Amino acid sequence: MAAVSVDKDCADQKLQFAPFSSALEAGFWHQLTQKKLNDYRLDESPKNIKGYYYNGDPVGLPTRLTLEFSAFEVDGPTPVRCCPVTGTLFNTNTLEAFKTSDKKALLEQQAKEIWDAIQSGAALDDPSLLCRFLLLTYADLKKYHYFYWFCFPALCFSDGIKILKEPATLEQIFSPRQTAALQSGYDRLCSETGTSAVPYFLVKYTEEDVEVAQLRDWDSFDNARRTIYVTVGVYDPCTLPQHPGWPLRNLLFLIACKWYVPKATGFLLDVLEVVCFRDRTLQGSRNIQHSIVFQVKLPLPDLSLNAVCPKSVGWEKNPKGAMGPRMVNLSECMDPKRLAESSVDLNLKLMRWRLVPSLNLDKVTSTKCLLLGAGTLGCNVARTLMGWGVRHITLVDNAKISYSNPVRQPLYEFEDCLGGGKAKAPAAADRLVKIFPGVVAEGHVMSIPMPGHPVNFSEGTMAQARKDVEHLEKLISEHDVIFLLMDTRESRWLPTVIAASKRKLVVNSALGFDTFVVMRHGLKKPCEPDDSSPSVSSSTSSSSSTPAEPAQLPAASLFSNIPGHRLGCYFCNDVVAPGDSTRDRTLDQQCTVSRPGLAMIAGALAVELMVSILQHSEGGYAVASSSDDRMNEPPTSLGLVPHQIRGFLSRFDNVLPASLAFDKCTACSQIVLDSYEKGGFNFLSKVFNSSHSFLEDLTGLTQLHQETQNAEVCMRTAIYTAAYTLQYIVQHKHCNTHYLYM
Amino acid sequence: MIACGHSNDQMSSCVLDEETFCRCCQLFLEHSHSLCDGWSWQLVKGSEEGYLRKVALGNVRIRTSSNPNQITDQYIQGASSDQRQGRTSPFTPHKENDDDHNDEQYYDDDDGAVCCMQDSRSSGVIQYEYHILYSYSYQTPVLYFRASTLEGRSLSLEEVWDGVHPNYRQRLQHGPWDTITQQEHPLLGQSFFVLHPCRTEEFMRPVLQAALEEHRQVNYVVTWLSVVGPVVGLDVPLSYCTKVPAPSHTSPSPLQPPALQTQPD
Ligand SMILES: [Zn+2]
Repeated sequence: MAAVSVDKDCADQKLQFAPFSSALEAGFWHQLTQKKLNDYRLDESPKNIKGYYYNGDPVGLPTRLTLEFSAFEVDGPTPVRCCPVTGTLFNTNTLEAFKTSDKKALLEQQAKEIWDAIQSGAALDDPSLLCRFLLLTYADLKKYHYFYWFCFPALCFSDGIKILKEPATLEQIFSPRQTAALQSGYDRLCSETGTSAVPYFLVKYTEEDVEVAQLRDWDSFDNARRTIYVTVGVYDPCTLPQHPGWPLRNLLFLIACKWYVPKATGFLLDVLEVVCFRDRTLQGSRNIQHSIVFQVKLPLPDLSLNAVCPKSVGWEKNPKGAMGPRMVNLSECMDPKRLAESSVDLNLKLMRWRLVPSLNLDKVTSTKCLLLGAGTLGCNVARTLMGWGVRHITLVDNAKISYSNPVRQPLYEFEDCLGGGKAKAPAAADRLVKIFPGVVAEGHVMSIPMPGHPVNFSEGTMAQARKDVEHLEKLISEHDVIFLLMDTRESRWLPTVIAASKRKLVVNSALGFDTFVVMRHGLKKPCEPDDSSPSVSSSTSSSSSTPAEPAQLPAASLFSNIPGHRLGCYFCNDVVAPGDSTRDRTLDQQCTVSRPGLAMIAGALAVELMVSILQHSEGGYAVASSSDDRMNEPPTSLGLVPHQIRGFLSRFDNVLPASLAFDKCTACSQIVLDSYEKGGFNFLSKVFNSSHSFLEDLTGLTQLHQETQNAEVCMRTAIYTAAYTLQYIVQHKHCNTHYLYM
Repeated sequence: MIACGHSNDQMSSCVLDEETFCRCCQLFLEHSHSLCDGWSWQLVKGSEEGYLRKVALGNVRIRTSSNPNQITDQYIQGASSDQRQGRTSPFTPHKENDDDHNDEQYYDDDDGAVCCMQDSRSSGVIQYEYHILYSYSYQTPVLYFRASTLEGRSLSLEEVWDGVHPNYRQRLQHGPWDTITQQEHPLLGQSFFVLHPCRTEEFMRPVLQAALEEHRQVNYVVTWLSVVGPVVGLDVPLSYCTKVPAPSHTSPSPLQPPALQTQPD
């Protein structure tokens, strides 16, 4: 070996170390949470934990001290080729305690323990005592916010460490033979000590051979070499070509203290050679040639008996490069509610990725839905909306849950029926939130005033009706899609009028015994003065029966290519105004029993219809698809956007009729909308308090009835107002325009 | 053993029983140790079940909206407003440098022995964690994975997707990426992403049947992983396919999990 000479270039250069970067795996926080909840609870006393570092990283990765979920099992296995590090966890119960804990004292206490281990010789027997860490944490388990601060205590030489020979790679210093000998010597040391990695070791070498030994074997390990200099090896996690990693720091202190004045020879050893052992396997090929070797001059520490512990450093900087703690917000991966939300979202996105790439999910999930009726249809509609990720669902109903309900209405349970039964709407909303906490659900107990159901018994009843109307108007304004899912026909009238006036999309569903209808109401064009759409005729209502009218409407448009603004509403097909349908009915007509599967089918179809409408670029103005379009190119990524779906369970068959808005409709005709918009509650109360003739007179239906003595006109009317009946319905005895409702 | 349509005339599926899974894993691990590529067998505490596990590091762009630093600032400001008014917490960032100032009183790292690190080095580093489990319902291996920052925050699937090279995305979108779902890890109870096993049989069957016809033995786990691994950025070196044998049929070893090896080879 050549005599030691100081490189001129680095005469004043001081050795600098790459600090550890803390690296926590997601599992660590899960485990800390479990420990805090089940084990530590309010116990703030220090706990032993374990981390590790690795010396085989590719260039460019930070020098990490990693803690994974197994960090709390101090005696557990360490990953292959990793070097374990013991640490102390200080988990505080409050943020205040975390903030005010004395970081200086904590660091000094750790430094003192290292200093003591050096002085007592314990570190020589067990060099892992030199490298340790401290972790201060506070876990806010309500918000899943975790505060933490790592400290990697290192003792400091007050004047630093002078570099005598600049770092060079092992390849430059060692022959291939020496390199191979170093590698096998290190491996042998690992198997002798039964560890996955030996953090510190002694090296001696000749041109022929390299030997390694444990630190504790110093005295028996070739004393002769010490007359020139000592070579030590350190398992080095750093990948920088000019700097050693952090673990070397305290080793230098140990060596300075122990061997500065050799016991046997009396020589002063102040030159130390360091091999930063780096061991990388790429594609199955192992390499240590990028290890670095350098020489330093060890300063003289104060070795007097009363020597105080040297100054120490080690608190980790935060990502801003400042001295401070770190905080990680894990609510997305730990909070069960957030997990449910992300799982639901991901499930829907899967549908998009897998099957319908152009699906616009945001359009669906951001839609605010108002469900009028929280019975069998309402419950099923709400559940299907949840399946689509709709986050805003409001239910309106005035009924209470009765014993017969839970088996058919999937948001209720037996318990809900006790003590007279809970109100349906709020109970349904509560259940929705229980099913999925990410939903914003509200329930309103409210009666919807109906035509032919007088509200003028007293000032009180009038005031209540006015309040109910205002409430309903407000709810409809606040939502994007209105579902009509009530059990009577008349209760659908008021929301139909309000929603038509406010240009809100309406999806309506009604059930018979084994038939159902699901339909979207025509969406009137945006309010503009002098909007003269052909379907909106003036009050000269008889014009529809003049020969000129059918000429304006080519026959094809009766059944196909009807744009959304010309589609009919639920009441367009009727030639009588809604009245008190719950009175004067035969038992058969009153019977609200349908085949149990029907509400699920119709409820699901109502939501799927809404979703298909939302996927259409024109939304509610989309041209109605018909059964004939089943063979054509669908207008949306999800397929057709029909006006109506009429289902016949007896035949397990659905048809997709479309029908025009009726200019004498008692709910959506221009005259009704005008009267509502001008007259407001005064007009509405007249409708509530009068018999059905009031609306029939207003719209011209009365006049039409008088004219229908002429059979031809009658037929024309039938075709005009209920074209689908000719095509599909007439042959089914259950299916005239009188559906029974659940 | 691996049952396939040809050997059991009534069966039309290619399934893997648990014992074969464990033996495949053992052979897989032996090769992994020779490559030193980080796979290990993790036994679940207090149970006989286990799984193969590997952690790999990589870089990914993290969206600014979920920048953890911003969250820190927001939260700390929010938290400090809960404290008594006028009180200065040690790390309330009134101004950029105030938190440094507050800590200087007890801390001074300017001993000249710390080399200046660019912290950007660690801020973009992502830890990818891969687990291979046996699914009893599908009788196939299942790949669970998650990615987290060095702070231990798991990334959303969008963030993981951001890390996929654009050239590779198109292929993935039509490939098995579309079977990724979010599920609880059956052994750990923590939330992971899963490559859903519903299509495993679909792509394994032709491979296994071809091997059967050629009287070639296949290590199911290796073959399977070489298909699904790359989907989520997990490299499976070619040597696994060439060097890892199929578990022997003639000398079935008793059912036991692969030995945990911590010794260097
Ligand atoms: Zn109408």
